[in-house]
Amino acid sequence: RMVPSPLAEHAILLASTFLFPPVAFVVVIVILLATLGKSLGLRERYVATLIYIFEWGAGQIKTTAKLKRKESLMPLDVPIIDSDEEEEEEEEEVDEDENERRTARSDGYESSSGLSRRRRNSANSVSSRASSVCSLRRRHGSGNNIIMRDTQLILDDEDDLPIETMHVNSRGWAVIGDSVDFIKNGIEAIIEDEVTSRFEAEQLMTWNMLTRTSTRFFQFVNWKLTVLYMAGFVFRYAFLLPMRITLFVIGLVFMLVSTAVVGIFPDGALKKTLNHKAMLTCHRILSRSISAVVYFHDEQYKASNCGIAVANHTSPMDVMVLSTDNVYALIGQSHGGLLGLMQRALSRASSHIWFERSEAKDRLAVSNKLKDHVSDPEKLPILIFPEGTCINNTSVMMFKKGSFEIGSTIYPIAMKYDSRFGDPFWNSSEQSWGEYILRMMTSWAIICHVWYLPPMTKLENEDAVDFANRVKKVIAARGGLVDLEWDGMLKRCKVPPKMVAKQQEKYANRLSRYTSTCEHLTRTPGSAPTLNDEAEDDEGIAASPTISGYNSLEELPEDVAITDEEDNVPPVPRSRSRPVSRVVEAPN
Amino acid sequence: MGNSSSLMLRDEEIEQISGETEFNRNQIVRLYSRFLSLDKKGQGFLEREDLMNVPELAVNPLGDRIVDAFFTLAGKDDKHLNFRQFVQVLAYFQPIDKTKRNENNDRSKKLKFAFMMYDLNRNGYITREEFKVILNSMVGANITADQLDKIADRTIEEADADQDGKISFEEFCKAMEKTDIEDKMSIRFLN
Repeated sequence: RMVPSPLAEHAILLASTFLFPPVAFVVVIVILLATLGKSLGLRERYVATLIYIFEWGAGQIKTTAKLKRKESLMPLDVPIIDSDEEEEEEEEEVDEDENERRTARSDGYESSSGLSRRRRNSANSVSSRASSVCSLRRRHGSGNNIIMRDTQLILDDEDDLPIETMHVNSRGWAVIGDSVDFIKNGIEAIIEDEVTSRFEAEQLMTWNMLTRTSTRFFQFVNWKLTVLYMAGFVFRYAFLLPMRITLFVIGLVFMLVSTAVVGIFPDGALKKTLNHKAMLTCHRILSRSISAVVYFHDEQYKASNCGIAVANHTSPMDVMVLSTDNVYALIGQSHGGLLGLMQRALSRASSHIWFERSEAKDRLAVSNKLKDHVSDPEKLPILIFPEGTCINNTSVMMFKKGSFEIGSTIYPIAMKYDSRFGDPFWNSSEQSWGEYILRMMTSWAIICHVWYLPPMTKLENEDAVDFANRVKKVIAARGGLVDLEWDGMLKRCKVPPKMVAKQQEKYANRLSRYTSTCEHLTRTPGSAPTLNDEAEDDEGIAASPTISGYNSLEELPEDVAITDEEDNVPPVPRSRSRPVSRVVEAPN
Repeated sequence: MGNSSSLMLRDEEIEQISGETEFNRNQIVRLYSRFLSLDKKGQGFLEREDLMNVPELAVNPLGDRIVDAFFTLAGKDDKHLNFRQFVQVLAYFQPIDKTKRNENNDRSKKLKFAFMMYDLNRNGYITREEFKVILNSMVGANITADQLDKIADRTIEEADADQDGKISFEEFCKAMEKTDIEDKMSIRFLN
């Protein structure tokens, strides 16, 4: 917790006072620009500068780490941050940025004409952005693998397991052999698994001057670095934070007021247009309050009306980010308090679906409401996040099939945040809402790439689950995310027992399959199975000792037959006798 | 947020663990990162529940046996696992370096882990009943009790050299001689 000393507090207050005129000026400009939907392209330059600083920092880190390594003859581990000459330059750069920002502040939006925005920018920033998009999509947050995994528990119903041709001893030792595979899988899962890592913030490759990401990197290295960090800290908390809070409050007020005004009008084309303008403006103001820089791609696939837009979920900001470009209807549980106020406000201007907590359990009721909304051409497309919970933006988890059963057109949207400037992921079990907002507002910026994808509909021979998986795959591919089968709800609850039972079943199938191949080996082709199931099992067990016993693996069939005779003293008396001749005709 | 704990691993500790287990620094640091992310409550040690929170382990039919073996091997206090113990147990799964002298020692360690899984009451022997329990966990309700018995009986019988009705560690090792334990129980740690 940050508890400023009185002197520090005084200093911060003074700084804020002196900064007040420029802050107020900036706020006014921002609102003006948001209302008009114009931009000055300065936020992009801010981002580009930050990227430059961070990358330079990374380069410095490497060289300094090498020096350190030579000094102490230690192997290199995580990148150590240390930079001497670089810091002075950085401080200068930071000053320049501040000057830039004081004059005007806005993001990179142009008016809503044209397909791809920001054409005005210099070639440099376009190409660097393109390359950063590519590298962004490659980063799954999995660059820190500890092991190379050999085993995997398959979750869905794949039954094409390769059947080993190795001779199985008795079923018993086969089981022990297999249990070793399970052990290996278990230990590998302990070391590294697909799911646990998805509920933590993505690990960064280099430090971005925020304490929250610094635990991976050695903290105190150099006093110069600390100075730089303090400068960044003061900048973020004393300048950015008040400005952002102001913008946020203004944005909320604007939303309440504008929706109230729009609500006066009767339903019709005019209301719709007004709502459109009001929503866009208000979300643009709000998005500036977290310095969101959003890049939209492929806007020709934007959802226009009727239909369901689905996207992967990372943070509560998702709705806001997407709403800066297009207007959606929302669906969710109705809350009380401030959130409830916003929900009611939104409902005045256009129709959204809010349902009570009790109704939420009734899937049919929700589904019906959805259907009604979607079939009305006057209503806006609904925005749904089928994962049901926030994932850390390195993967896409199981989509709930509810929205895919309706039968309307689905407009998939892929979202990928660049977490170098601020990680928008919210783990609600670890952070409260207030903490989260504070973090958002003291990050450098929130950068997001949004890809609109061509609309999809359910095919006839496809069921809802398959359709959901198909959409999920497309979204994951476009956004550069890992496609996972696991349910996002695992963040909060334990694995349900039926999943364990499923694994058991799969194993039992596997076991019976390759022990029954043993049976085939000992049965002559002509002999018809005249015994019933239970007997077959007996036969199976009786048959398998023909090649049972470790020592008999390499031995000839005759030996096997002989040893089997001797061996055949079962603890449980068998009711059926096995003809010896059959054994002798054993395989080759 | 990720590693919110501010416990940093000291250099001496890393050196020590590296000496004991033959993991290199890089690997140890990454394992520490993993340890921290498993230790959600930030207590500085792991409990059984922390390991069982990994979904892939929870779905594994032998999940709780694996966790049990892990804790048993770790040390005297089998309810808490500190980082050192964590790495020590994981070291059992390092690939066997055939050029080193103590190859047999490593192999026997791996077998020890497997043996621990079966030996539920930790008396050093696997009995018929214990084996049945394990087999039951693996196949669940998909075979009958009768079949279970038969398989268990057959298994014990085959390996029971001294005919005392249970399998000791030596008998276990002998029975697993032909199994490629080195490969099956080695995990490829990346550098």
